[in-house]
Amino acid sequence: MKIAVLLSAGRHPVSSTAVLPRLEAQAIRIATRLGAAFGVPDEAAAPFGLHAGPDAAAVADALGQGLGRLEHIALSEGADPVPALAARLAATAPDLILAGRRGQGGGESGIVPYALAAALDRPLIADVVAVAPGDEAGTLRLDQSLGRGALRRVVVRGPVLATVHPDAPAPLAYAFGRARRGTIVSLGPTADPGAGPVIPVEERPYRRRPKVVKGAPAGGSAAERLKAATGESGAASRGRLLVDPDPEEAAREILAYLRRIGVVAPPASHPHP
Amino acid sequence: MTSFMPLTTVFPGLVWTMAALALVQASRRASLWRVGAAAPVAWLHGLARLPRRYLVDVHHVVARDPHASRMHAVVAGGLLAASLLTALAILPPLAGSRAYWLLVTLAFAVTAAGSLLVGARRYPVKQKRLSAGRFQILPVLLLAYAVGGTLTALLLALGAGGIALPFALLAAAGGLGLAFEVRQGPMRHAVAGALHLAAHPRPGRFEGRPDTALQPLDLDAPRLGAAMPADFTWNRLLSYDACVSCGRCETACPAFAAGQPLNPKRLIQDLVAGLNPAEPPYAGTSYPGGRAAEGPRGPLARLIGPDARIHPDTLWSCTTCRACVEECPMMIEHVDAVVSLRRYQTLERGALPEKAIGPVTELRQAGDPGGRPLAARTDFAAGLDLPLMADRGQAQAEVDVLLWLGEGAYDLRYGRTLRALVRLLRRANVDFAVLGAEERDTGDLARRLGDEATFQALARENIATLARYRFARIVTGDPHALHALRNEYPAFGGHYTVVHHTALLLELIRAGQLSPQRLPDLSVTYHDPCYLARYNGETEAPRAVLDAIGLSRVEMARSGKRAMCCGGGGGAPVSDVPGERRIPDLRMAQATETGAGIVAVACPSCTAMLEGVTDRKADVRDVAELLLQAVEAGR
Repeated sequence: MKIAVLLSAGRHPVSSTAVLPRLEAQAIRIATRLGAAFGVPDEAAAPFGLHAGPDAAAVADALGQGLGRLEHIALSEGADPVPALAARLAATAPDLILAGRRGQGGGESGIVPYALAAALDRPLIADVVAVAPGDEAGTLRLDQSLGRGALRRVVVRGPVLATVHPDAPAPLAYAFGRARRGTIVSLGPTADPGAGPVIPVEERPYRRRPKVVKGAPAGGSAAERLKAATGESGAASRGRLLVDPDPEEAAREILAYLRRIGVVAPPASHPHP
Repeated sequence: MTSFMPLTTVFPGLVWTMAALALVQASRRASLWRVGAAAPVAWLHGLARLPRRYLVDVHHVVARDPHASRMHAVVAGGLLAASLLTALAILPPLAGSRAYWLLVTLAFAVTAAGSLLVGARRYPVKQKRLSAGRFQILPVLLLAYAVGGTLTALLLALGAGGIALPFALLAAAGGLGLAFEVRQGPMRHAVAGALHLAAHPRPGRFEGRPDTALQPLDLDAPRLGAAMPADFTWNRLLSYDACVSCGRCETACPAFAAGQPLNPKRLIQDLVAGLNPAEPPYAGTSYPGGRAAEGPRGPLARLIGPDARIHPDTLWSCTTCRACVEECPMMIEHVDAVVSLRRYQTLERGALPEKAIGPVTELRQAGDPGGRPLAARTDFAAGLDLPLMADRGQAQAEVDVLLWLGEGAYDLRYGRTLRALVRLLRRANVDFAVLGAEERDTGDLARRLGDEATFQALARENIATLARYRFARIVTGDPHALHALRNEYPAFGGHYTVVHHTALLLELIRAGQLSPQRLPDLSVTYHDPCYLARYNGETEAPRAVLDAIGLSRVEMARSGKRAMCCGGGGGAPVSDVPGERRIPDLRMAQATETGAGIVAVACPSCTAMLEGVTDRKADVRDVAELLLQAVEAGR
């Protein structure tokens, strides 16, 4: 099981210092855990990081997060990283490529994973929160986040590219000693692929914005908007309302509901005495 | 026996044999210390100062328990005197003197009395904090040696040495037993303790300095922090062997009191047992929670882990309050041990407690454990128009006071305290300014949690910032920042005069720049912050300020340098190791016992921890807030 984690030169959302983006740190946690689940025969087969950009120091933090080895493709500032990354990934052929779902840097658009998937002709599974070995050999079981805690489980065979969702397990701690022990392999400059696609962006300081509630009524009274925000018009508004029920009835009702949604197994036909 | 060798020779010979046996046992022990890392030790200076360190510094701690102090003076003094006098009797003129033997009798009799005092602590019922095991036979051995010695010497003094042989044998049994115990029994504390006093890793403690700064870690060292006993320096290993299992640390430890899985005595004994595979089993109170894992032993055995001798939760329970260090009569540095072990866990393994990872990561990446914008640090002062250092320009004359705001500035509750402080400074016409967005966290949290790399990076950045400005002194309300700036930054090239806000306020009152009214209706008890009282020895200024405004002030049972921690230090709030109780609840209960309506605090961590206690009977007010109230009462 060969796992590559794509790394980008990110910036801290508040302090704007150069940091490893949180999503990629989460991807490293998924990768190291998966690597351990498969067993790592030697250093070369361990999960590794891949970065294409002017400076490897920008992603060196990834070594402290648990990767033992980083590959760095030197590119000039502003060059398109996709051809170089695609060439390197085609050469190393990892079974799983993990990337953040969104850039956290200056001029990043977040489409690199999609461009790579297209270039490598691989499926892309977006917004993954967990990856585990599948039941059949050669398959992977990925849990995809659908937002608001809902998950979809996907089993795939063959090489795949996945992007990581913020709901994935929190990043591991940065360990200074581990970062010191890790190695950065410099792959040398490739032929300059030319500048990447220019996407018109405007940079503004970060500002917290109110959360947009899906399906919220544009107008309406405050009570209606609250109802929409707390979801009382959605799933929570369904079901039966019991006012001051007696405990046994309430318990029966809860059990019936849990059985209906499949959390509790249906009653055994021959209950134990 | 007397026919070929007189008892006057055999008896002193016994003491010489004891000394030889003790030496053999001690050198067997010393071979274990040699596995430790090298450490610079000023031996000559240490040995020369040994008597003073013992009679002044150690006595100062021991004498807090007057019974223990008297007991130790009688039994140790008697034992040393009696053994030395008997050993000297190998000289024929002394051996022949009946008066001399009477003197020896007297010394042994004193020892016997002391042995009874030792026994009284353990029989019929052992005091709770003491360890059992081999310590239980100590009074028996002492008594055998002392009584046997008394009777032998008495009979020699009376000229009836012929019938003294059975008593000499009793003394031999006791004496040789004691000497044997030097390797891994109770008597080890005498030998290791004396050497530890001479080779102490923090000699500044004996020179009147607090000497509490954590020692900087060389980040280029092949291994960072301590993973196994051999990673400690040899004099640290020696210091752990000095532990006499008296349990004073466990009575003082806030985490132990809260039922968190930490017992400083057991921790030190686990370090001892980790080093020595043959160590007898631990016989004191264990870690709360009743964990029984033994784990591997030996100089290269892993010390920390769920299956090792010390559980990670034990390590992360420590608030680094130094109460154990303050109480330890053997001058052991528990907190240094905890931080060394944490450094390995954090720097080499990234094994921080799950909940501490976020704050430490933000500290590393954003210069603030909450990941908040540095420019928002001064938001608490909206409308107060804080002067910025950057606006003063370099050409101007130096600022008298650089006000270091610290992490508390982001906290809504503590912002009230800082506003009170700023208004007091304005009233007193103090020339002050803040760094504003240029102030980064001092890195205290990272350092206590073992992340020395982040601490050093932050220290260097802050020192570089401070180097750009001219100021006479730094004033801060945060004792953690004060400790870092005053005691820990000098190792990285930052030397500043750092003053706690309570000391500055007292100075302003004494200089007449602030003239507070008296508030006699308020009753107050002052809670000492660990990092101000124990780490920096400052206990008087806040009390003097409170007295200057005429409050009726009562003391808690534990106050001053022996105060109990609020639970807010050492990263304990972010590690959040579960216990049976909460430390701030315990401390608040102690404050309530005094009947005072107000708990005066002088630290943002204490403010937050004590404010967080539910069903509080007393108000939590910073000294600055109380002073402002008194100053404004005069308008």
